[in-house]
Amino acid sequence: MGETALKRVEIEAAGRLRALMRRYFLDLDEAAKDPGRRVAWCTSVGPCEILAAFGFAVYFPENHGALLGTKKISHEIIPRAAGLGYSAEACSYMNSDIGCDLLGCSPLRAMYGIDGPPRPDLLVYSTNQCRDVQEWFHYFGHRHEAMVAGLRPPRHLGEVTAEHVADVRVQLERLIEQIEIRFELRLDRRRLRETVERSSRLSVLWGRVLDTARHRPSPLTFWDMLIHMAPVILMRGSEEAIAYYEALLAEMEERNASGAAAVPGERWRIYWEGMPVWPRLRDLSEKFFDLRAAVVASTYCNSWAFEPYDGGDPLDWMARTSLAIFINRDEASKERFLEQTFARFGVDGAVFHNARTCPNNTNSRYGMPERLRERLDLPVLVLDGDLSDLRFFSTAQSMTNIEAFIEQMEGRS
Amino acid sequence: MTGRVFAGVDAGSSATKCVVLRFEPGGETVVGHAVTPSGFDYADASARALREALAAADASEEQIAAAVATGYGRASVRFPDGVPRRSITEITCHARGAREWYPAVRHVIDIGGQDTKVIRLCDRGRMADYRMNAKCAAGTGTFLESIAVRLGLPLAEVDALAMRSTTRLTLNSYCTVFTSTEVLERIKAGDAKEDIAMGMFRAIASRVIEMLAAGGRDGPVAATGGVVTYCPAMRRALEEALEVPVHRPPLPQHAGAYGAALLAAEGAAEGDSIALHAAPEVRRDAGRSGSCACDDPPRRNAPSCADSASLRGRPC
Repeated sequence: MGETALKRVEIEAAGRLRALMRRYFLDLDEAAKDPGRRVAWCTSVGPCEILAAFGFAVYFPENHGALLGTKKISHEIIPRAAGLGYSAEACSYMNSDIGCDLLGCSPLRAMYGIDGPPRPDLLVYSTNQCRDVQEWFHYFGHRHEAMVAGLRPPRHLGEVTAEHVADVRVQLERLIEQIEIRFELRLDRRRLRETVERSSRLSVLWGRVLDTARHRPSPLTFWDMLIHMAPVILMRGSEEAIAYYEALLAEMEERNASGAAAVPGERWRIYWEGMPVWPRLRDLSEKFFDLRAAVVASTYCNSWAFEPYDGGDPLDWMARTSLAIFINRDEASKERFLEQTFARFGVDGAVFHNARTCPNNTNSRYGMPERLRERLDLPVLVLDGDLSDLRFFSTAQSMTNIEAFIEQMEGRS
Repeated sequence: MTGRVFAGVDAGSSATKCVVLRFEPGGETVVGHAVTPSGFDYADASARALREALAAADASEEQIAAAVATGYGRASVRFPDGVPRRSITEITCHARGAREWYPAVRHVIDIGGQDTKVIRLCDRGRMADYRMNAKCAAGTGTFLESIAVRLGLPLAEVDALAMRSTTRLTLNSYCTVFTSTEVLERIKAGDAKEDIAMGMFRAIASRVIEMLAAGGRDGPVAATGGVVTYCPAMRRALEEALEVPVHRPPLPQHAGAYGAALLAAEGAAEGDSIALHAAPEVRRDAGRSGSCACDDPPRRNAPSCADSASLRGRPC
């Protein structure tokens, strides 16, 4: 594989994203210090619209976990959490966040000049992704003597039925009631509806941004998406975030109209299944770039592209979208989704990341790659690693694996 | 020697191998090969291996028409200025080398110092898929070396012991360190050291089975790499686990370098496009009309058993 110096085209909206993120974190910091405001921590596909409608500034610890991964320090701080009894094989986001807390450090200090994650008044998790978030939130609830509330939706669903939605809806109502009692607040239902409307608009726009990658050549890749997905996770219901995605979408559509490629000379289109390897994003993106391989779609980035809100009961929509996410579905549904998405994006091969500390967001452990490989005659690579903990990842071995994967496709062409 | 030659260098984690090929109307001929410890300097090791292989071929650097670097240290391999070179993974190169020796082969098992790979070839000879061991020494040459060191025995002696094993013994630990401990426990428990030694090779074979199972076990199997070169017990353990004969090519350790040299020649013939394609047609396995002392006579023109014999006895 020869390596040619290709010119990467920067996404213009990136500057705007940095400003948006800065405002978000500074506001969180202000909220934590202002006696008149409250901060709620929420899991990434949790009921954040309710929290926003109550007036909480909403913070997402998973983002901090990913940040610690990108800073390549998780493997150094995780042992601190392990010392408290949290298994080193449990979620490395959780362990690194707890380790970070024990050490009193945070990259947010250097990035935004704030002390670290905002002190919570309330922590709300949903186990629609995994059980680890429950332990994670309880650790910090105990640490900050803050209220912890949780949703436990039915898991691993085939079809999402009315009964499933009703179950979660009841849990959401109970959550609202708990917050109203604890904080002596009253939920403004109209405000909730408006927040859900904006959240849905944001999510639909994000889905449209992702869909621009169906174009050949793709105007953006998984590596870009991982950076630009922050607002759809952190700022659901925010007008600013909507404006941001409108600008990003326009830029991507313009790229498609002009034929601008994220990977000049795009030869291969790849699907990424599972978590990113945050500490090695640059290495991986450069490797794929050099190999003229555009990672055009992923399960991970698609996880925040929900079905549109139809104007009905906002709690029904929240319940349904939280149940319908990929990670909460059964094997057959996941496999069907992947097969359809491979076809929609015209991928030549799929990489399954076996994230050692994230079994819930890893789909290579029960034969799915092999089944898809056989049924679709599609090259599939299973890459061992982790979302944050570098101790589970070998850069040299992974790079050889990726190169061989492309060579395998070369051999088929 | 006059004329153009093609070089393949496989910079592995333990050893750097080089093969020099000459193409003639009747096919390719291995005219030189070498192996040298990789040490800490892949550039130096690859230069040394190339120099030795060229000397064995009675050829000069100026005769190299094209070259391919492969292996863990492939990015560090240096070829003489002006030589067209490419970098191709050891997975593709091992598959290519093994397929040249055994055109009908469907599975290539390469057990190297730090990696074990199982490569599945389709009936047209192209790579259908492959698997590598996880980030762990279990199932690799390092696994054997570590335990041998713990026992204070040269690897050749561990192999000789294993070949005398009469009773099946299975080691249960998954991890290299824990396996060492288990070996010591077995010795204390009075198990025969011959059976324990064979259990170590069986442990590697069981890891191979895990990687092979996904692709099925149809078709001939070939094993390559340093462990297979120096340890006959490894092949025995593989055959026992797979329940099929396992081809051992005449130069198992050089399979990657051999494949690299073949790809260098094919790439040169096809311009810049990488020749990773299957051979136009699969040729039947054909040995050297009974003159070869190999267990598995390879296709004509492949390096001979006499070549590999010169390597035996060297430390792994």
